[in-house]
Amino acid sequence: MIHIVTAENRRHYHHALMEMHRQRKQVFIDQLKWRLDESAGIEIDAYDCPEAIYLIEAAAPRAPVTGSARLLPTDRPHLLGDHFRFLCDSAPPAGADVWEATRFCPAPDTAPGQPRHDLLGRMIAAIMETALIFGIERVTFVASAGLTPLAAKAGWDAQPLGGARRVGRDRLTAFVAAIDQRGLKRVRELNDIKTPVTRFFGGELTAAA
Amino acid sequence: MQARINWAFAEVCDRAESVDELQVAFMHEIRGLGFTHAACASHVDPLRPPAEAVMMVDYPLAWLQRFSDKNYAKRDPVYWAARRQTLPFQWSDRVFRAGLASDQVRILDEAAEVGLTDGITIPIHAPDALPASCSLVIGPDGVDPLNAQKATWYGVYAHECARRLHLAGVPPKPELSPRERQCVQLLGQGKDDGAMAIILGLSEHTVHNIVRRAMNRYGVASRVQAFVRALKDGQIRLEDVAS
Repeated sequence: MIHIVTAENRRHYHHALMEMHRQRKQVFIDQLKWRLDESAGIEIDAYDCPEAIYLIEAAAPRAPVTGSARLLPTDRPHLLGDHFRFLCDSAPPAGADVWEATRFCPAPDTAPGQPRHDLLGRMIAAIMETALIFGIERVTFVASAGLTPLAAKAGWDAQPLGGARRVGRDRLTAFVAAIDQRGLKRVRELNDIKTPVTRFFGGELTAAA
Repeated sequence: MQARINWAFAEVCDRAESVDELQVAFMHEIRGLGFTHAACASHVDPLRPPAEAVMMVDYPLAWLQRFSDKNYAKRDPVYWAARRQTLPFQWSDRVFRAGLASDQVRILDEAAEVGLTDGITIPIHAPDALPASCSLVIGPDGVDPLNAQKATWYGVYAHECARRLHLAGVPPKPELSPRERQCVQLLGQGKDDGAMAIILGLSEHTVHNIVRRAMNRYGVASRVQAFVRALKDGQIRLEDVAS
């Protein structure tokens, strides 16, 4: 299951959040060689804040993390607006009903190929479920060359915001995806997902667990 | 975006008139961030610290007693790692654990038995301070990663303020004249009076007197001691003599 972690319930997820930041360091800094800040073995940047919403896949709040992603409100500083504007032909979508999805991070031991594709499918379903709960209508994201075809064909209505641009050793494309029930239904069908993938534990987690 | 600097805490630290006052403020902040214990301290025997040591520690007394009795300051792997790197590290990190000697692993195991199971250590390096670090202990409920990030700044700031309070009570360090510094530096490069005289275009007698003056300033009886003191005070940098 994929846990929705917000400012409201993140106190129940200290271990999962720490593990997510540790995996982000292993994946983005150690494996992909992105030039990001690290501290105490974790990758954490200026956009990690209480307002960010994290999607963390784990069997339970204290179980091993198998994948994660970060959702940022776009009515405050976010990556597409601050760093990747040049990927957009016109002003990037932003506002109270737009989120930005960043830092999609499969656990470092995720096998390449199908297991990674499956995780991406579940994560996209989770992004859509969460967006629908919060009344978000569009989600932007930047995809690498490897991720672009998968994210574009995941079943949601994702449109490029501009052409692919070479950045370092990769080619990046910015997208905006429409969030609606039909799209979620298609994502679930294409990825063989039968039930909602997300769970939200609020203040009663301790009593419920 | 996250503010990395808590100006209110900085102000409290700046205004503190004693290390005790500083320690109370520091521990309050650190506990507020979700850590269970903290040790912002010089790497010395915690129960017999030298006068210039910074000691803001709230570890269980039984552990400090053991640490002191067994002279763990010499072998503690946390101290050991903190002296060799500048980036903060977590005790549960595999990179930190790899390559530890068995007696060092045992120290970590013994610390875990008294509740010091996992933590984050921020190495602190200053040329004229004792080797130090700030360790923050993570309890069973973990700690919010955002708070862990904030805490690194708290540790460094509190240590610096503690050091400043110490320095205020210590007589100023002797300062070498440019000529004396030059001679003591050459001394560190292994030159004798004769070689120094040639390099500086002075007589051997003059060079001898300059070195003697530097020794007198530090109140030491040997040339090596004068060099070590100048190095420790930061009057000479290691990179000036080691090439």
